[in-house]
Amino acid sequence: MKTIEKKKFTFSDYWDRYSTITILALMIIVFGVLRPTSFLTPANLVKIMEQSSITILLGLGEFFAILLGGIDLSVSSIMALSGAMTAQLMVNQGMHPFLAVLLGVIVFGAFIGVINGVLVTATGLPPFIITLGTQAILRSLVYIVTDARAVSGLPASFSKTIGGKLFGVIPVPIIVALVTAALLTFLTVKCQSGRNLYALGGNSQSAWYAGIPVKKHIILAFAISGVCAALAGMVNVARLAAAEPNAGTGYETYAIEAVIIGGASFFGGVGKVPKVIIGGLIIGVINNGLNMVGVSSYYQQLAMGCLLILAVTLDRFFGASRKNS
Amino acid sequence: MEPLVQMKNITKRFPGVVALDRINFDVQPGEVHVLLGENGAGKSTLMKVLSGAYTPDDGTILLNGKEHKQLTPHLSAEGGISIIYQELSVVNWLTIQENIFMGRLPSKKIGPIAVVDYKSMSESTEKLLAQVNLITRKPTTSVGDLSISEKQMVEIAKAVAFNAKVIVMDEPTSSLTEEEVQKLFAIIRQLKAEGKGIVFISHKLSEIQEIGDRITIMKDGGYVGTFPVKDLTTDDMVRMMVGREIKSNYQHLPEENYQFGEVMFYCRNLTRKDGKVKDVSFDLRKGEILGFSGLVGAGRSETMCAIYGAAPKSSGEIWLEGEKLSIQNPYQALRQGIGLVTENRRETGFFKNFSNGRNIALARQLKASSFNGMWGLTNRREEVKIAEEQRQKIQIKCTSLNQMTAQLSGGNQQKVILGKWMAAGVKLLIFDEPTKGIDVGTKSEIYKLMRSLADAGIGVIVVSSEMPELLGLCDRIAVMADGRIIETYEVAEATEEKLAKAATGAIA
Repeated sequence: MKTIEKKKFTFSDYWDRYSTITILALMIIVFGVLRPTSFLTPANLVKIMEQSSITILLGLGEFFAILLGGIDLSVSSIMALSGAMTAQLMVNQGMHPFLAVLLGVIVFGAFIGVINGVLVTATGLPPFIITLGTQAILRSLVYIVTDARAVSGLPASFSKTIGGKLFGVIPVPIIVALVTAALLTFLTVKCQSGRNLYALGGNSQSAWYAGIPVKKHIILAFAISGVCAALAGMVNVARLAAAEPNAGTGYETYAIEAVIIGGASFFGGVGKVPKVIIGGLIIGVINNGLNMVGVSSYYQQLAMGCLLILAVTLDRFFGASRKNS
Repeated sequence: MEPLVQMKNITKRFPGVVALDRINFDVQPGEVHVLLGENGAGKSTLMKVLSGAYTPDDGTILLNGKEHKQLTPHLSAEGGISIIYQELSVVNWLTIQENIFMGRLPSKKIGPIAVVDYKSMSESTEKLLAQVNLITRKPTTSVGDLSISEKQMVEIAKAVAFNAKVIVMDEPTSSLTEEEVQKLFAIIRQLKAEGKGIVFISHKLSEIQEIGDRITIMKDGGYVGTFPVKDLTTDDMVRMMVGREIKSNYQHLPEENYQFGEVMFYCRNLTRKDGKVKDVSFDLRKGEILGFSGLVGAGRSETMCAIYGAAPKSSGEIWLEGEKLSIQNPYQALRQGIGLVTENRRETGFFKNFSNGRNIALARQLKASSFNGMWGLTNRREEVKIAEEQRQKIQIKCTSLNQMTAQLSGGNQQKVILGKWMAAGVKLLIFDEPTKGIDVGTKSEIYKLMRSLADAGIGVIVVSSEMPELLGLCDRIAVMADGRIIETYEVAEATEEKLAKAATGAIA
């Protein structure tokens, strides 16, 4: 067929590129108009970012599981376990906070993530099933090691560093989330293994025939997810100055929402790391904004659900997924 | 005789494209009407107009003695038109009878409740299966257990059950073995005898000559003409379809006095763990194209997968340019200079979420990175350079390197894959069914590229089920059956008959 080249910037092109940032901007405008004096203050905006940092961290990890066309339901439990273990190491063993955090992230983040990945590659079962299982197992471990009691009495140096503010202005959790996001963006955009992860998410068979080590990359993706969840765990413990055994219960849905609202394809192979930040912020803005407007918290989940379906529907009809199908 | 369906001056425009330009097409009772054209010539669009999926902008369709401006899927089905698509539309987890009677299961009444009448359904299914010669299968067999050829028979049975008068078959032979093709042709002849009209879409000219009665040729959405098949030679068909002469032989001519170089690749006693490849040994000289012929399941693709490391081998040696290779997985094959162009482009060839540039650059980047391809940086500028070089070298037709490969035609997708391997600097490139579903014009370009690779000193191995392709392209042809090489022929002494005999074990 003869085709005539037409270069026209359509709504579809726009939506493809800027959908998430547009949604965020619209929401900030709406809440800003409704509550100009309380919502649109620098202090409140910083607060939203701080509140969103855990969702963003969990979402950043979840992104890699979803990029492979999979899912990681265990992030909430990893978050709780790593937080509880780190807290216990500091409180009961008197370990130096830096060492405890390092151990918490590597052993209870990366290592558990690797176990998730190994289970997925070894059994060939869908990640949904494996991580649904590890979610329950790890949560149970949290209750066992903490005796279902909160671990408190953390060293002040820990809570003040991770839970504190840099130069007294920028909350450290935000910095942790942004630095993690920057590193992962570099991985996905610039590194060969990042490129391989996209390839694998697009078509695992093609990836195998192209010479990409499929199993190693699946394990890598779950390890990243584990590390991010553990970082979220550290942030959570520091902010509360205590490790709650049921911390983060149900947070995996926030993580998934952040990734999906951020425009990643649930079928794998499509998505961008920085958009997860925006996805996480959108969730934060909804919760904070509805509070400010005085809407009962009963309605917040309702708003989230509607937004999720709306965002994905718009993407379905105007976004990149329409062109690829 | 009154035609079963007659399409007159059908025109269909898409934004920026005239997909069909005043096409005439009719089907008489008891004939096989071939529709021929390159990919993108408009055959599928025309059939979509016939099925009622597309509304034509101009022209009329005469069906059931009534003139229509356009058809709807309902009108089309009512008029007895049934289309069997290349990607068969059977439901694998249902039984044969449920597939055939999908949407109109026979019912009976138990008291006031209507329930499915399995007895009458299975009886009618048995009759239909007998009609399409599928008597070895029970109506209650799950369709997922059938071979592609058998699934096709189920689709034909479904069309017959629907009382179809015109059955359109879109490239029905592309995934069939020679024997299965003959079975299909027997059914087609029987349907003809019953007065049904068959529309046969295929790129395989020898098949067209064997089964076709009339032929309509299309080119770039335009109507070239309708002729009796016996009045045209295959060369005529190609010329009208492509608009230029196409070479049919790609070997060096005898007067060129071409000399092959030394043996650059060989494999000895290759055996696979699963027993699909047994004791396979062969040599490949520099400048030579070696073909592998045989039936589906003879172990040709399986041999290539074993060489490439995509399937485990139990014993055997592989030597490339004087070095013994150890290949456990495709990554090691890539690192040591072996590439494989797989049979299924969409499933194992390229990445649908990648642009042309990324698909082309991938193998080279992966090869350059360390630690099993996990460690290394990608360079956007280098990526564009690599891809642009290949795009120009092999003339990939795409709007830009940023265009998604999934949007290209099959032939250009294949070129992207070829570019990927060439960019990676392969020393040996294995092609598995390289021209499956690719039109004649692009086919010849791919053959030329393969020959130029061989001339450049790169080893070329081709697995193909199309014997004319092997005879036109290869310098030597090995025939496999039951996981072994039965015979190897110089192309000068090879004929289709000899290859077929060796493949079926007639001379073992």
